[in-house]
Amino acid sequence: MIPVHDRQAGLGGLTQQQRRRLQQRALLSLKYLILTVLALLFLFPIAWSLINSLKLPSEALAVPPTYLPTQIVFDNYSELTNYGNYGVAGHVENSTIVALLTVVGSLVLSTLGGYGFARFNFPGKNALFIMVLSTLMIPFQSILIPLFVMLVRFELNDTLIGLALVYITFQLPFGIFLMRNSFLAVPKEIEEAALLDGCSSLSLLYRMMLRLVLPGIVTVAIYAFINSWNEFLAALIFMSDQDKFTLPVFLTLVRSGLWGTVDWGALQAGVIVAIFPCLVVFLLLQRYYINGLIGGAVNN
Amino acid sequence: MTPRRIIFAVLIMALCIGALPLSAQDEDVTMTMWVRNIGAQVQELVDEWNALGGAQIELTVIPPAEFITKMGAAIAAGESPDIASIDLIYAPAFAAAGQLLDLTDLVSDLPYADDLLPAHSELGTYEGRNYAVPFAIEGSFIIYNKDLFEQAGLDPESPPTTWDELLEAARAISAIDDETYGYYFAGSCAGCNAFTYLPFIWASGGDVLSDDYSEATITTDPIVREALELYRTMWEEGLIPEGASIDDGSSFTSAFATGTIGMAGTGAFGINTYRRDHPELNLGAFHIPGKDGGAASFGGGDVIAIGSGTQYPDEAWAFIEWMMSDETQLDIYAANNRTPVRVSLLENEYSADDDLVLTAASALSVGKSPYSLVYNDLFNDANGPWLEMIQVAIFDGDIDGALQLGQDRFTQIMSG
Amino acid sequence: MKALTGSLSWEQRRKLTGLLFVLPTVLFVAVFFIIPLAMTGFMSFHDWPLIGEQSWIGTTNYSELANDRQFRKSLDFTFRYTLFVTPPIFILGFILASLVRHNIRFIGMFRAIFFMPVVIGLGVSSLLWVWMLDQRVGIFNKILLDLHLLDKPQLFLAKPSTAMNVIILSVVWKTVGFTMILLLAGLQSIPDELYESADVDGAGYFRKLFYITLPLMRRTIALALILSVIGSVLAFDQFYIITRGGPRNSTISIVYWIFNNSFVYWKLGYGSAMSIVLLTILMALTSIQYYVLREKE
Repeated sequence: MIPVHDRQAGLGGLTQQQRRRLQQRALLSLKYLILTVLALLFLFPIAWSLINSLKLPSEALAVPPTYLPTQIVFDNYSELTNYGNYGVAGHVENSTIVALLTVVGSLVLSTLGGYGFARFNFPGKNALFIMVLSTLMIPFQSILIPLFVMLVRFELNDTLIGLALVYITFQLPFGIFLMRNSFLAVPKEIEEAALLDGCSSLSLLYRMMLRLVLPGIVTVAIYAFINSWNEFLAALIFMSDQDKFTLPVFLTLVRSGLWGTVDWGALQAGVIVAIFPCLVVFLLLQRYYINGLIGGAVNN
Repeated sequence: MTPRRIIFAVLIMALCIGALPLSAQDEDVTMTMWVRNIGAQVQELVDEWNALGGAQIELTVIPPAEFITKMGAAIAAGESPDIASIDLIYAPAFAAAGQLLDLTDLVSDLPYADDLLPAHSELGTYEGRNYAVPFAIEGSFIIYNKDLFEQAGLDPESPPTTWDELLEAARAISAIDDETYGYYFAGSCAGCNAFTYLPFIWASGGDVLSDDYSEATITTDPIVREALELYRTMWEEGLIPEGASIDDGSSFTSAFATGTIGMAGTGAFGINTYRRDHPELNLGAFHIPGKDGGAASFGGGDVIAIGSGTQYPDEAWAFIEWMMSDETQLDIYAANNRTPVRVSLLENEYSADDDLVLTAASALSVGKSPYSLVYNDLFNDANGPWLEMIQVAIFDGDIDGALQLGQDRFTQIMSG
Repeated sequence: MKALTGSLSWEQRRKLTGLLFVLPTVLFVAVFFIIPLAMTGFMSFHDWPLIGEQSWIGTTNYSELANDRQFRKSLDFTFRYTLFVTPPIFILGFILASLVRHNIRFIGMFRAIFFMPVVIGLGVSSLLWVWMLDQRVGIFNKILLDLHLLDKPQLFLAKPSTAMNVIILSVVWKTVGFTMILLLAGLQSIPDELYESADVDGAGYFRKLFYITLPLMRRTIALALILSVIGSVLAFDQFYIITRGGPRNSTISIVYWIFNNSFVYWKLGYGSAMSIVLLTILMALTSIQYYVLREKE
């Protein structure tokens, strides 16, 4: 710690420019300090969960809890494979199937629809476009009851496909909007040249356009994946067969103490399993995710 | 597949068709059975049955709080299980909805038809037909820690018989040290408190519902207020651990198992758990007392029924018949401290000198079970009026407000 | 296809092709959105049990809503929750956005860290928080006890006020990154020259904040606010998982009460009537959004 008067004396001998630079550096250091503290706070819950998932199961249940594990083991993860009829793996599989169906469905529909809305003129186009976008205004939470009744009627409740169909619908407005903008950004000349060469609309889309709108496609896919992987309420209502529960719903069963006393270590192992794919997707494809968020939210 | 489903699938999911087989359901060659989790004992029973090599049973355990939701959704979708172990309180509702197979003829053909526990058989009956038979017998009673009684200077062989005695015992035990508490109840568990708290009211000659179950008597019956005051007093004096207020039932048995709790309500399911996992506990049991004596119990547990949509009615009945047989009742039920479903077997070689098991069995003789189609909404729902009333009265101390709130919400639910 | 379109002109063929491209989307939206929306209204006039026969009962469900004490309580709670959770999200989001605004070294990493919780599901994050909040195995009590800020474990979920506060804390952690990114985009769209000329005039931080930053970001701020408010009005996961609606049913949100009535009490018609009320509230909020965003253009 430098005594205050020393510092003032030191600064006194500097030129104004030097002093400003020094001030800026001090401010910058302060900024980094604040950022680092905040970042540690933000990371803490995830890190704490990870640390605990690696403790011995008995240690994870210790009262009061220990800060650091005495040894690092994967027992909590293997414990998790014993729960339910198929263990955690079965529920990861359920979540994966639903997420993949949602990704594929959203991509196909958004690409076709986005292209149609961007490049073609047909009667009722604006009305249909507004109808699709209106889905944004009315969140699915408010129409869950009839959705449930309909899925039952079509014998699609309690199936992963039924759940994915609902998820796809609510990915559509964002997907259509984004893909339409992506197609609008492609210069018309490229397309016209190809059409003159005798390309059909579909093969044109397939051969040329997809490459040009790839960023949009990646963004739609990420959103479809993360949203369907994480969704809780609809999965809770539409699935009644425990073997078909998606991961988040399965984890609430672990928490309810269904298989004996609540096993907090195993629960945190499950939390890590549920978080992991989302973090990987986000960290690898951050740019697309953030662009989508800004593009989708700011423009709607 | 119905044509409707095909048309729908083709129209809407052309894109998903490649993935269709992924989620197509396995063809069940085994029966499905649902049970709410009331201990691991049902799994043991089913394992024994499966080992016999007949039609196999796949057991699904459901959290009690979600049973009614999941069962309702499955039934609505026509996917109810082949066999269901139902909280006996819900049996009338499911029977009324036409979801259970009529077992009247099968049951009356049993040589021991009249031997089945009457209270449970009654709730399995709807409009004179029999839809379910007793499966798990749970009469509520109070379990106590004899060692703590002794340390507190109480006679471990003469447990409380009135509310005053209960309160005095709780005070004496709490006085042992800061870590020890006289009494425990799960303060955020609706069903637990229907099971272990309602009998306090019944044993004193009171009730929260009129005799014909048509109206609420919470504000009109003075005993309800006094029962709330009893718990409130114990809470205020610190005779109940603070953590009890947020126990949603997951610590219902484990709290007492720590050995620092003097008394706690339980059912037969508790005996086996404590005996198996905590043999060090020196246990006693007594009936839930009335204000000035008397006793009552909540005649709870499960009845077992066959879903009306099952493809395997004969196999399902074979399992149920096997379950009720002398051998199963004695060698599996009684041997594991469970209460048999047949009156003549209540006293058996296993129970002979077992104080706890006998208390659990005799609790049934003072047992009562409300017969109501809205039982869940009133008592068992985690957000229902019964639990809210208890919490407001005991933890907030607002007994007047609690009684009024209970009366209003009970009335609203029963009229709607 | 060829036979069908062969006789059409190029113009007509383009129209048909365009329609075919959007048809799957339109079908999806019609089946899974428009029809259910209409059905919600239809069902709200019925006694529609989960199991059994439904019957038309006119507006009975709506008049019952007026007597439903818990429904009023849930409306009240949801609004209070929204009111209390929005300012922290917003203020912290603004601070974070200001901190990560300029492209200094490692800033990408910091942005990613603040944003990370957003990609975790609310259900899963609630399972994480309910464990951290536990009075026995939870880390919060451990830290507070070790720092001697508490002398005995605190039951965070036992009192309505603390339950609400800890849930707000968990939701802020989970969602503030989203608001940060929106506000960051708004901040970055303000030309640097404006600040430079303000600097020349000798304007301080708060002068710049109130005369440049906030006025130019009105649109973004309005958008971030509305999205955050709508999200709060629809809250369910955190209450279902962390508090189960307790203590004393003080944390039952509107969506939670709809869920209970529909799927626990099996009253789908009544749940639909509540959904209609929820829809009305949401439509009102969305109209405000459009009004604000259009006006300030």
